[in-house]
Amino acid sequence: MTNILAIEDDEATAREIVSELTSHGFHVEWVADGREGLIRATSERFDAITLDRMLPGIDGLTIVTILRNANIHTPVLMISALTEVDERVRGLRAGGDDYLTKPFASEEMAARLEVLLRRQGGPARETVLRVGGLELDLVSREARFGGSEARLLPTEFKLLEFLMRNAGQLLTRTMIFESVWGYYFDPGTNLVDVHLGRLRRKLEALGAPSLIQTVRGAGYTLRAPA
Amino acid sequence: MRPPDLWRTTTFRLTVLLGGVFAAGIVALLGLIYWSTASYLVGVMDEIVIGQARGLEGVSPENLPAIIKAEEAQDVRNVYYYGLFGVDGAWVAGNVRRLPPSMIVDGRPRELREKGFQPGARALAERLPWGETLFVGFDAKTLSEVRLILEKSLIVSGALIFVLGLAVSAAVSLDPLRRVREIQKSSEPILAGDVSARLPISSRQDELDMLASISNRMMDEVERLLWQVKSVGDHVAHDLRTPLNRLRALLYRMRQERPELDPDAGPLDQALQETDTLLARFKAIQRIGEIDRRERRAGFGAVRLDELIDELGSFYEPIAEDRGVELRLQVEETREVLADRELLFEAVANLVGNAIKFTPSGGSIELALTCAGHGPAIEVIDNGPGVPEDERQAVFERFYRGRGALGTPGSGLGLSIVCAIARLHDFRLRLNDARPGLRATLECWPASG
Repeated sequence: MTNILAIEDDEATAREIVSELTSHGFHVEWVADGREGLIRATSERFDAITLDRMLPGIDGLTIVTILRNANIHTPVLMISALTEVDERVRGLRAGGDDYLTKPFASEEMAARLEVLLRRQGGPARETVLRVGGLELDLVSREARFGGSEARLLPTEFKLLEFLMRNAGQLLTRTMIFESVWGYYFDPGTNLVDVHLGRLRRKLEALGAPSLIQTVRGAGYTLRAPA
Repeated sequence: MRPPDLWRTTTFRLTVLLGGVFAAGIVALLGLIYWSTASYLVGVMDEIVIGQARGLEGVSPENLPAIIKAEEAQDVRNVYYYGLFGVDGAWVAGNVRRLPPSMIVDGRPRELREKGFQPGARALAERLPWGETLFVGFDAKTLSEVRLILEKSLIVSGALIFVLGLAVSAAVSLDPLRRVREIQKSSEPILAGDVSARLPISSRQDELDMLASISNRMMDEVERLLWQVKSVGDHVAHDLRTPLNRLRALLYRMRQERPELDPDAGPLDQALQETDTLLARFKAIQRIGEIDRRERRAGFGAVRLDELIDELGSFYEPIAEDRGVELRLQVEETREVLADRELLFEAVANLVGNAIKFTPSGGSIELALTCAGHGPAIEVIDNGPGVPEDERQAVFERFYRGRGALGTPGSGLGLSIVCAIARLHDFRLRLNDARPGLRATLECWPASG
C-alpha cells in the first residue's frame, strides 16, 4: 500500500487531505508539528509527503531542505497559504517537487500527488513512450500509430509527452498548463482545451482511437482503451 | 528664483515688516532727540536773551546807545542782535535797523521768523520805562546744525536699513524657499499615486520639518488604510475560496455519481461551471494582490521580447483559429528589456486573450513588437468593436466590464491584472482606437523616467 505522510498544522485542511487521499486508496499518516514531521520523514519510509509551508516548530521550507541534504528523495508536494509569486520558486528551489496554494480543490491535490508518485516510480530513461498502441518517439518527436506517423509541433509534443508519462492519471487543466507551458497563472477560458482538441485531431488522423478522454468537471486523462 | 516667489515667502515678508518697524523706530528716536535738544536749546537761548535784556534795562537812557555799541563790539561770534527804537519807532542804536514786523512788544522771547536770521533764532522786544523800544535777539545757529546732523543720520541710516533689510530678507528666505521646492518635488510622486513616497525631513527640526513630518505621518496612515482596504479584498477572496472549493468538490462528487442521462446531470454541470467562474474570479483578485505586493525586481532579468511574442503567438494561434480569427505576428528587432518574463507573458496573454474574445469570427488580430520612441512596445491590435473613448480609463478598474463586453464570458479583471503588472514594471499600458477596433500598447520602458 502506498504510504503518504501529511505534515499539516491546520486540522480542517488535514482532514480534507486525509479523506481525499484515503478515498484514492492511499494510507495516510497525519502529523501536525514540523519537528515531529521531520523526524518521521527521516526515520520512516513514505512514498510521498504533503508538506505545509508554515508550521509550528520547523517550517516546511526547512524540512524539505534538510530532507534533500540528507539524501532523502521522497516526493514532496508543498502546500502553502502564501500566495506570493516568489514563494513557489522558493519552495521548488528548496527541493519541493510541486507546489499547491491554499485553498485548493482536493481532487487537484490528489492528482498532483499521484503525478509525483508516478514520476518517482518509472525512470525517465526510455526514448519511446507507449500507451495502447500509440508511440511517442522522444528523440525524433514523432507520434506513431500502426504504420502511420505524424510530426508534432513543439507544444503538441510536450502536451502528449506529459499525458503519456501520466497515462491513466487525472490531469487538471492547471496541471497541464503549468507542466507544458511552464507558467503559473490562470490562462482563462478554454486555452488548454483548444490545444488538446488539436492534438486529439492529429492523433485521430493517425487512426488512433480517442485515447485522450475528458473527465467532466475535472480535466483530462490519457488512457489505453480497455 | 523670481522676485514674486520671494515676496510670497513668509520669511521675506516678516523680515521686510520687521525692517519697516525698525526704520520707523529710528525715525521716532531721532525725532525725539531733535525735539528734546531743540526745547533745551530754546530754553538756554531764551535765558540768554532775557539776561541780555535785563542787563540793558538797567542802563540810563542816555548811556544806552553807547552800551549797545560796546556790547556789539564784544560779540565777535556775531550771535547777538540789538535794536533801540525811539518813541516814534525810528532807529536809535544797534545792528538791527528796523523792528521785525512779527515781533510783539511784550518782553517775552519767541522765535524770530524773519529774513536774514537763521531758523531757530530767539528774540524779545520790550518797551523801556521811558518809551523807547528795546529789541534783543540771539542766534547761535546751533539748532539748525543739530537738525542738519539728525537729517543726515536719518537719510544714511534709512538707506542702510532699506538695503541691508532687503538683502537679509532675501538671504533668510531663500533657504526655506529652496526647501519648499524640495518638498514640492518630493510630493509629486505622491500626487501621481505613489503612496509609499514621503517628504524630506532635515536635521534642523524647524517648522517646515514639523509640517513635513505631520504630512508624512498622515501618508503612513493613508498607506496603511489603502493596504488594509486592498488586503480586505484579498482576504475575502482567499476566505471565500475555501468554502467554494468544498462546494465544488461536493458538486463534483454528486455529478460523478450520476449517469450521463440523469436529469440532474445538466444542472449539476451548470452549477460546477458557475462555481469555476466564481473561483476564477476570486483567484484573479488574489492574483492582483500578489502582483501588487510583489517585491519590485525580485524576478527581473533580461527578457528577449521577440521570443516572448513568438511563444505567445504559438500559444494563441490555435485559439484564434478555433474562433475563426486570424492572428498575425509582426516582430521588429528590439533591445532586451529588464522585466519579469513570466509576468510579462501573463500581461500580453491577457491582452491577446481579450482581443480574441472580442473580435468577431472573420476578424483579425495583430500581435506586434515595435520599436517606439523610448524603447520596445508590444501592441495588440484587433478589428473588433473596440472600446469607446469614455470607457478607456474605466476598463482598467477592477470588475469593470465595457458595454461591449456584455454577453462575453470574463471577470472584468484581466486588464486590472495587466495594469498591476505594468505598474510593477513601471511600464505603461495605453488603449487607443485602431479604427475600427482596439489598439492596446504596452510601452516597455520606465513610465516615470
